[in-house]
Amino acid sequence: MEDTNPPPSDTSNDLNTKVDGEQTPSVVPQDGTPHDKNIDQFISLLRTDDKSDSSSPPEIVESVQIFVDLFDVKVVEYESGSKRWIQLDENESACFLEFVDRNAKLIKSMSRFHYEENYAVVIDRISSVQERALCILEAEFKSILDDYQTSYDRDQDKDEAKKKELKSSASNVHVQEAVEPELPDQSEAEHEKDEFLGYSDEMMLVLKKLANGLITGGHVTECSELYFFVRRNATEQNLKNFRFEKFSIDEAQKMQWEPIEKEVSSWMKMFKYFCSSLLPSERRLAEAVFSGHTAMSDNLFGNLTQIVLSYFLSFAEAVMMTKRSAEKLFKFLDVYEAVRDNVPLVEQLLSDEWLPQLKSATSLICTMLGESIYNIFIELELSVKSDVAKTPVPGGAVHPLTRYTMNYLKYACEYSDTLEQVFKEHKRIDRVESVTDLQSSQEHQPQNHQGGNGSPFQSQIAKIMDLLDVNLEAKSKLYKDPSLSLIFMMNNGRYILQKTKGTGEMRTLMGDPWVRKRSSDLRNYHTNYKRETWTKLLQCLSHEGLSVNGKVMKPVLKERFKSFNSMFDEIHKSQTTWVVSDEQLQSELRVSISAIVIPAYRSFMGRFSQVFTPGRQTEKYIKYQPEDIENCIEELFDGNTAQLSKKR
Amino acid sequence: MPPTDNQGSFLNRISIRRNQVAYEHEIEDVEQFQKHVTDRLSELFHPQEDTTTSDPPEAILSIAWFRKLLDAFLCCEAEFKAVVIMGRDANNFSKSPLDRLIPEHLDRSVKALDICNAIIHGIDLLQHWRKLAQIAVDSLNQKPITEGHVRRAKKALTTLLSSISIDDKEIHHHTNKSTSSSNNNNTTLGNIKSLSYPFARTWSAAKQIQAMSANLTSPRGGEPTGLVVPLYLMSSVLVFVMWAMVAAIPCQERAGLGAHLQLSKQFTWAQPMIGLQEKIGEQWKKKEKKGRSGLLLETQRMEKLGLSMVEFAEGFVFPVEGEKAEEVAAMVAEMEEVCGRMEEGLVALDMQVREVFNRIVRSRAETLDVLDQLNKMTTPVPY
Repeated sequence: MEDTNPPPSDTSNDLNTKVDGEQTPSVVPQDGTPHDKNIDQFISLLRTDDKSDSSSPPEIVESVQIFVDLFDVKVVEYESGSKRWIQLDENESACFLEFVDRNAKLIKSMSRFHYEENYAVVIDRISSVQERALCILEAEFKSILDDYQTSYDRDQDKDEAKKKELKSSASNVHVQEAVEPELPDQSEAEHEKDEFLGYSDEMMLVLKKLANGLITGGHVTECSELYFFVRRNATEQNLKNFRFEKFSIDEAQKMQWEPIEKEVSSWMKMFKYFCSSLLPSERRLAEAVFSGHTAMSDNLFGNLTQIVLSYFLSFAEAVMMTKRSAEKLFKFLDVYEAVRDNVPLVEQLLSDEWLPQLKSATSLICTMLGESIYNIFIELELSVKSDVAKTPVPGGAVHPLTRYTMNYLKYACEYSDTLEQVFKEHKRIDRVESVTDLQSSQEHQPQNHQGGNGSPFQSQIAKIMDLLDVNLEAKSKLYKDPSLSLIFMMNNGRYILQKTKGTGEMRTLMGDPWVRKRSSDLRNYHTNYKRETWTKLLQCLSHEGLSVNGKVMKPVLKERFKSFNSMFDEIHKSQTTWVVSDEQLQSELRVSISAIVIPAYRSFMGRFSQVFTPGRQTEKYIKYQPEDIENCIEELFDGNTAQLSKKR
Repeated sequence: MPPTDNQGSFLNRISIRRNQVAYEHEIEDVEQFQKHVTDRLSELFHPQEDTTTSDPPEAILSIAWFRKLLDAFLCCEAEFKAVVIMGRDANNFSKSPLDRLIPEHLDRSVKALDICNAIIHGIDLLQHWRKLAQIAVDSLNQKPITEGHVRRAKKALTTLLSSISIDDKEIHHHTNKSTSSSNNNNTTLGNIKSLSYPFARTWSAAKQIQAMSANLTSPRGGEPTGLVVPLYLMSSVLVFVMWAMVAAIPCQERAGLGAHLQLSKQFTWAQPMIGLQEKIGEQWKKKEKKGRSGLLLETQRMEKLGLSMVEFAEGFVFPVEGEKAEEVAAMVAEMEEVCGRMEEGLVALDMQVREVFNRIVRSRAETLDVLDQLNKMTTPVPY
């Protein structure tokens, strides 16, 4: 393949040896060779003459006329459309390009004597034929380039199923993310096969020859413009096939978030596909067609990339300009990561001159998205801090604020590496921009726990968690029953701990000491709750003060049973409506309650039940068998909403 | 760039502003701001040059002129930011009529961003036009001019002229290859004509400009706060600059652009803008009837020269001699000069438009930051 693209050689000798070496005499017109030689000699004569600055030009050799007539005949043949380049054999096309090349040199060397009339007339003739020849090359070049669709679409049909899959999974971000790692490999493999975007090897061969011919003939601009517009149309066609939505920044401002959110997912897919697969293929194509003309292929690829990326980056800009709000965080992060990760793939394919514009566009997007992301966290912090509720959550259940904040942080921590990056960058900007802000934020540093002196994002999370604690503490005061306050604290504390432990990134961020502290807090709530609710009840079951001199005081005993029963009833009645939705916590509570209540009750019963006369009296005072107590305890914290809703 | 150099001293001024003397400083700043804008815009408006036939390099609507215009915009923008936005707190912006005017200004900024993006695509098309014109220059610069050269030049020029005249009229989205692969038509270079657009086909630059200027009304005398005037100024300059760019540079859908903003004559800075607007408006009216290549001086000259060159090509007989030769040489030289200016100016212009984009984005963000100080306190947790 390489020998079809010789570097433009300046000495006619080279050309001749090449022609001799390559062409079989049967294809080249027999009379062509001697004339070619004469012309090449003539060209070098004109050139050497160049130096001596003599005013009288050498006589034009006869071969020129014969050469141009021959060339003309050939051109007519192609002009009639009877010959197409894709069907030509190697020698025929080489022969035609040889004509173009030799002719170009001839024109160039003869032009020096353009003021000589006989020269001018010949130049007119040969340059006219040359122009027609180059027109043929242009037309052929374009028509082969344009032929990408047939083969490419075939390819696309194959891809169709795959693409549909991508589109449909776009609705679910997380499923999609799970699929994602496989995608680049797949498409990489796809395009290893489809190295030249649907152009067959024969087509590539011809394209290279034609490009070379056009460049030799001086039609560099025509050639590159033709190439550029065909490839740009092909690329845009491709975007259309993917149903790429172009919408303006202004439109995005007025749109609902959901349609944009959906678009982000498919944008990510497309962007990745273009950057990791399609544009590298375009690069290979340009390099192959214009091999030996690096500046040209660099420029063409750069121009194409700039346009393609401008579509993708416009979308990112439209997203970044939408009003920030908490629910947009994850899509902002997606777009941020996509720009951060995909653009460098393309950058390494571009020549230096294209980089500044691209870098300025991407850095603007990353800075603006970074700022929004950062501010969303600051707003979350403020919101958690200032969330005031007048009414407590029924049953001491997990507060929606806890649920929201923890789930939000949990998802956010899936992006923890990116968030670290964003926070580091932003803190830096912040410090430059406003000294006062920094000072005030230092004043509000959370109590120094393990995360406090960690990374900026880590301390931000820690800060939000602290504020959540403070807020929950305040919310727990809304309950009149201290036991319920404790259940509320337990529920929320447990929820926070479980969510944190359940997310690897968050667990790592918060650290062991934090987890230990939370666990011990929870144990304290538990202990305090038992004391608060059950100690008084257990006092009823105290053996003390019931017997005087070994004799059981029946009225006191009656009182004890009565107050036990009513107290227990009351506890049962209220605490079955309380909510502990964490099963483990629920059963832990029940077990630990049973563990203190049942043995005490059993022992109390065992000691005192025979005091009552069997029958009515026993029935009246001994309302519960130990098993009944156990069953009742099993009913606690069920969040008996039926009862609750009846009450309301 | 001068505005950035000033920011240190602006910071000082901002801290002073917090004090009692602040008000006086503000008045002074705003006056300075208006004066600077007047000076910068006046420089762009040279009515005396109107009559001269030769095109000075910085003639109105030339690439060089647009570069100066955008420079002026960037300076104006920087000063606006320093005077109006930096160091403010939300209370400054929450009172009537600023609580309405600021969001309106921000909305205009957003629309301006889309226009910048559209203009960047337009500049790309101009580059392709330049390349086509350069082909004609290269081939007609040959000696002797032969039939072959003329043919090559004509082909490039035909493509160029058809691209210029269809721009933004038909073919919003490139025609598909249905035509191209089947016809072996050698008269044009194929699909070079088409302009690819960054937005959906319904997007219209003219409509955006109309929307930007529709609610831009001159402040009435004795408005309660001194910030109303600089805000009106900034919006006016923004709309004017965007309008001028859309009028000059190939852009998606410009029908009806002629209807432009009404600027209040009461401000001195508005005078040069009104003058410029009238001049550009006149040209627009003339041009609107026949094709819409945009008013960019270089494009207009390119189109005119292109037509003459095609005419020459059509009547071409070898050899070209005497007067005819001189005529062609002059045309080619002029076209070459136009190409040279474009080659030199368009890259820089493109970078400037991108800079304008960046600045608008950042200023908007800073304005929103000020406004958000209010909102932050009131954002509830969305559970």
